[in-house]
Amino acid sequence: MNAPLRPELSAPFYQAQGDECQLFEAAWQQQLPVLIKGPTGCGKTRFVAHMAARLGLPLITVSCHDDLSAADLVGRHLIGDGQTVWCDGPLTRAVRQGGICYLDEVVEARKDTTVVLHPLTDDRRILPIERTGEVLLAPPGFMLVVSYNPGYQHVLKTLKPSTRQRFVAMSFDFPSAEVEQQVVMQESGLAAAQAQQLVTLAGQLRRLSGYDLDESVSTRLLVYAAKLMASGMRPALACRTALAEPLSDEPDTVAALLAIIHTQFPA
Amino acid sequence: MEDIVGGWWDKLVQRAAYRGHRAAAVRLEQVAPIAPVFFRAMGGDPALALRSTVGTEHGARRRWLERIAGTGERVELAWSDQQAFYLPEKIELFADAALNRELYFWLMALAASTRPAGDWLNANRQAAAACLSAMPGLAASYQRLVAAHLPQRPDPARLPPAEAAWERAIRQALLQPQQALDTLPPARAPYPLPLWLHPAPPTLEHTAPSTAQDPQQSGPRSKPQQRQRRRYRAQRVVQDERKNGMLMIFRAESLFTWDEYVKVNRHTDEDDDDNAAAAAEDMNRLSLAQDAHTKGGKLKFDLDLPAAAWDDTPLGPGLLLPEWNWKQQRLVDDHCRLQPMLPRDAVPAALPARLLPLARRLRRQFQALAPERTRKSGQECGPDIDIDRVIRFMAERHSGVAQSEPGLYQAWPPGERSLACLTLADLSLSTESWVGDEAGRVIDVIRDSLLLFAEALSAAGDSFGLYGFSSIRRQEVRFQVLKDFAERYDDSTRGRILAIRPGYYTRMGAAIRQSSRILLQQPAARRLLLIISDGKPNDLDHYEGRHGIEDTRQAILEARRDGLLPFCLTVDREAGDYLPHLFGHRGYVVVQQAQMLPSVLTRLYAQLTA
Repeated sequence: MNAPLRPELSAPFYQAQGDECQLFEAAWQQQLPVLIKGPTGCGKTRFVAHMAARLGLPLITVSCHDDLSAADLVGRHLIGDGQTVWCDGPLTRAVRQGGICYLDEVVEARKDTTVVLHPLTDDRRILPIERTGEVLLAPPGFMLVVSYNPGYQHVLKTLKPSTRQRFVAMSFDFPSAEVEQQVVMQESGLAAAQAQQLVTLAGQLRRLSGYDLDESVSTRLLVYAAKLMASGMRPALACRTALAEPLSDEPDTVAALLAIIHTQFPA
Repeated sequence: MEDIVGGWWDKLVQRAAYRGHRAAAVRLEQVAPIAPVFFRAMGGDPALALRSTVGTEHGARRRWLERIAGTGERVELAWSDQQAFYLPEKIELFADAALNRELYFWLMALAASTRPAGDWLNANRQAAAACLSAMPGLAASYQRLVAAHLPQRPDPARLPPAEAAWERAIRQALLQPQQALDTLPPARAPYPLPLWLHPAPPTLEHTAPSTAQDPQQSGPRSKPQQRQRRRYRAQRVVQDERKNGMLMIFRAESLFTWDEYVKVNRHTDEDDDDNAAAAAEDMNRLSLAQDAHTKGGKLKFDLDLPAAAWDDTPLGPGLLLPEWNWKQQRLVDDHCRLQPMLPRDAVPAALPARLLPLARRLRRQFQALAPERTRKSGQECGPDIDIDRVIRFMAERHSGVAQSEPGLYQAWPPGERSLACLTLADLSLSTESWVGDEAGRVIDVIRDSLLLFAEALSAAGDSFGLYGFSSIRRQEVRFQVLKDFAERYDDSTRGRILAIRPGYYTRMGAAIRQSSRILLQQPAARRLLLIISDGKPNDLDHYEGRHGIEDTRQAILEARRDGLLPFCLTVDREAGDYLPHLFGHRGYVVVQQAQMLPSVLTRLYAQLTA
């Protein structure tokens, strides 16, 4: 059974790899929007959550998709009890509250949607709301953060240069082996020796990305495997379930991944 | 009668002397599908191909039964070099098949690890120790292998002192690879150690490019593929310049004379290929010499160079293109000269009658492949009501800020598919090889594919260009313009496709770079670069093997960086070795039967563009 949900009392765990926390804080102080690039599951979302808690800001996250319209971000009128009520969208809410608005996988959003971000990202820092005739001026606490995965780059799905040029950008990658081991141990409670083997395995599997695998194994998947192992599952089986099967559908590739897993955790 | 009894006796003794466990044999082809992936994950160079090795004489003491039977002289050992990693074709060392399979993986892990310097004993010991410490999962498997192998080794107590010292050192290194060993004085070769890499792997340094043609590129594919993947130990020798004198014909009458280089110029009337290949299997080292006389296949190739007057029609003075030098890791500017050409003898022609039914079907299919229709919301008229907007409009009207003329419909206007496709076909001499009585040669299949594909593309209404290429060294990369993007697809284009002929080599990098340039000039949202090939990149001047592969890879990477979508279709069955390195996991398709190429090509296009 799942444990009951508890509100986060402290900042979510995030193991810094470099000076990204300082960079983020400096950008927030200077009221600059931030773009975070990096592969799936390398800790982008966790980083933003961590920073929001650290800076004491409300965080509003929007997972972008190809049907996300400008109204979905800004807000709309709703009818109730014979009258209409204006309902703020997540972006408007973040501007009013002076928090962080985080648009995850922003390339997935339609091009016309990202345009509403433009006046917020330059020195005006305003959000015009066409429907109500309001123009909101973002308070100093407000910050816009967007992220995307350049590995997914599709000819049709890439951020317009004019949009990209409005952000200060940070590149994320998988953490170094030591840091990743710390993360795995912290998140799953796995013992150091096994966490180290998992991280070595991740290094072996990451050599295959671009050749035999479309995507590298993410820190998130490693944490899943570690959690299964910590719960008492046989390590080879945990890795099969959490690493080999999610990474590929092709029987030969899965068989090869199993052979690689067995170099760390014998069957 | 004596012969028959002798044959029986021979078989009997050989069987008695044989140490392997045939019933538990694991063959390389059983692990081949996952071997490259495993090798790469262990840190092996992704550009290396998988090959099978052949036996080398180990020179160690044999048992008397083996001496009587005349067996046990050779052993197949694994190793890797700059081109490939080599594994035994089958492993039947242990009575347990699972153990034999584990040995394959152990050898791959060992070959993939960086080789520490030092003598064979210490280098392998250190590599084994490194593997075991980095991969604890392999440790259990390694212990099983060592435990099973130690009883197979000779007893040091029954060996002369020098050999016994080696044997003890090997046993210690096997059991405790972490412990350093002293370098031992030379002794008779120790009993072979199949758990370690080859003590003296054949080197490549002698391979001169002028004769190092890929056998798959120049010859017909009549021999079994497996044979061609084997690697022979070779040395290069200088051809004897003396005249032949009276000795015109040398007959390889016994294998013993094959083994040494005899200063006799062998003429072209050789044995059957099968005999020569069988003899090559048994030899320690093949001697290769540059010879004025060549075998039939090669002779034919050399004569294939046309006189200038008969050659294709060149367009312009040619273009200078760069090439990637992988050893220096840099792009060498103006390294290749690419010559655009029109096929000679191209006369306007209709589609051959035999292709008409298929072409008609493809045209219908591709016309039905309707250009993308995308839903457009907020239209002022259209077949569907945009519920979302109607609700919003009602709400806004209630609140008093409604627009006067809202678009409340959804429409499905025919989308404009903005797509350009460039097809680049390999026209090298290897495409002359025969694929079957009905299909004819590879080049015939490529020609039919181009014709049918062009029919399909013109039906779909997408903008497309068709080109072909071959090369003779870097100075002449021949780039056949079959249909330019600006040209219409008509009988004159069909005539040009019908006039293509195979010839020369496969300098793929330059052709891809030129194709990328052409494709980049096309105003389209998506630009597809389709490459049809039948083998690895190769050319006469250093462009075989690794150099060609790395240059092609760079050209593909450049194309991808420019936003093109490169994709390869090949009929080469060994493509799995090198194509993932060139095009990535999802960037290619191997067509098992050449005859299927036209249908695979058209189906693939529909998939890629859908």
